[in-house]
Amino acid sequence: MNIAVCVKQTPDTESKPILSPDHRQISDEGIVWIINPHDESAIEVAIGLRDQLGGLVTLISVGPNQVESALRQGLAMGADEAIQLHCSEMPIDQKMTAEVLAEKIRSLGCELVLTGEVAIDGCGSQVPQRLGVLLDCPCVTGVEELSIDSGQFTARQPVEQGDKIHAGSLPSVIGINRRIMEPRYPSFKGIMKAKRKAIHKEEVLLNSADLLIESLMLTPKKSGGKVVEYQEGTAEEVVKYLQTHTTVF
Amino acid sequence: MLPIVVIAESVGSKLTPSTLEICHVASMIADSLDQDWLILINDAAKNEAGFIAPRVISYALADGECHAPDMHASIAAEIVASSQLVMMAATSTGKDVLGRVAQLLSVSLVQDCTGFEMDGDRLLLKREMLGGKVLANVKINSCPQLVSFRPRSFPTTSPLRQVPVIESYTGKSFDLRTSVDLRKTTRSTRPDVTEASIVVSGGRGLQGPENWYLLENFLDVLGPDATLACSRPVSDEGWRPHHEHVGQTGRTIAPDVYIAVGISGATQHIAGIAGSKYILAINKDPDAPIFRIADYGIVGDLFEVVPALTNAIRGK
Repeated sequence: MNIAVCVKQTPDTESKPILSPDHRQISDEGIVWIINPHDESAIEVAIGLRDQLGGLVTLISVGPNQVESALRQGLAMGADEAIQLHCSEMPIDQKMTAEVLAEKIRSLGCELVLTGEVAIDGCGSQVPQRLGVLLDCPCVTGVEELSIDSGQFTARQPVEQGDKIHAGSLPSVIGINRRIMEPRYPSFKGIMKAKRKAIHKEEVLLNSADLLIESLMLTPKKSGGKVVEYQEGTAEEVVKYLQTHTTVF
Repeated sequence: MLPIVVIAESVGSKLTPSTLEICHVASMIADSLDQDWLILINDAAKNEAGFIAPRVISYALADGECHAPDMHASIAAEIVASSQLVMMAATSTGKDVLGRVAQLLSVSLVQDCTGFEMDGDRLLLKREMLGGKVLANVKINSCPQLVSFRPRSFPTTSPLRQVPVIESYTGKSFDLRTSVDLRKTTRSTRPDVTEASIVVSGGRGLQGPENWYLLENFLDVLGPDATLACSRPVSDEGWRPHHEHVGQTGRTIAPDVYIAVGISGATQHIAGIAGSKYILAINKDPDAPIFRIADYGIVGDLFEVVPALTNAIRGK
């Protein structure tokens, strides 16, 4: 079974963002780049399915030069091939991202497309759903459990009221949540092997004025609250404080 | 032409609380632009919707309660294609459905917004990026504008005194592509973490699932709008169910009061709770990062502090 995994490179959670002078972009300065954690788990799921059912795992990432390191890491984890859809900047509008991904995936002819359900930087939460529509196949997102058997899938998606259990046939698009499984660390052997692999690079043009970032600002730091050492009477004091400072007590 | 549309979520015959917030937003925008707004809803809840919106379009779904997001989205896309603004709550289902509607209409979509300003007939949307470290103002130029708003970002709307105007959707029908079965998990009668006004969240500091009775007792005195959450290690260990996990890879919440008990406050945890209006933290480590974002921090043994707070509230 051939599997495509769409991978986004995102800033590490611990990175401290700096804004560009025009306050419309986040500067690359000081950013440590990682594979979006949900996508990393999607790679893990893909590798497991390949080992079980055969076929190839192909990673696809849209973005500028630096995304190569994310693809390299995915190859080191055990993916077979990697494609970089190169563009000068990370696209803002996920409609553009999904459209170029779908075009590439169509040419690969996969039976299963995996992505993370959301990227932790922009939190767009829409690429898997858009891919399902573009590829005209079933799509389930937010998946925390997935099984594939003779061309059929079963996927569990937690929602507010409980769990939705979706069942359908391949090909399909599955948006993975990190909680499905922890990804492996690349082995030394994997890293050495990945170094020798070629990353197929293709140019894509992404210009859309449909979605604009008008301005960005860094979230103002909360001025340090009150911190007290617990002692007799603290509880009563806190309750009084909550009553005067919040509306729900 | 349908100017402003709310795609509703319902449970049984009731609209969900987060949908009622979106209705509030729709009526505000409709007033300011002097336009109409309407609710799109499945048949089971159309009567209640009739008391909320000036106009309702209802549809019957093969699976009754729109558990199949592709079918839900296909019908919605048929109806809203020529509207100006389409909104939904940024719940699991809302984000799922709206993502599909956006591609069916081939337009841009902004999910999980926390506020907005009007700029002519366009919305200047406010949202968080990078786990709440950056705030963005975003504008959609394509039409219709598709937006989901994070639950608990707005007040809910109240019923109008009116005779409901309900139409039935009679357009194209769609086949189910996948079978979808909703297993209602046996959850407590307490609200979902995204809907509660007070959230009491437990971390590894509680030492084991057997100690959650402390938080349960605390909840009992906080009233029916309070609920339980937990940190990632707690759900990973299986001490608490996954749906209570708040943080970067869990749920994102914005309660009026967030009470962190025995949670150190890693960046990944903060990403899910940064929208809370007020944060109270209890931790024995005075250097725990949670104290840097807490409005009120208590340095102490939670096994002593939580029962004392429970008693103090009971006696207030």
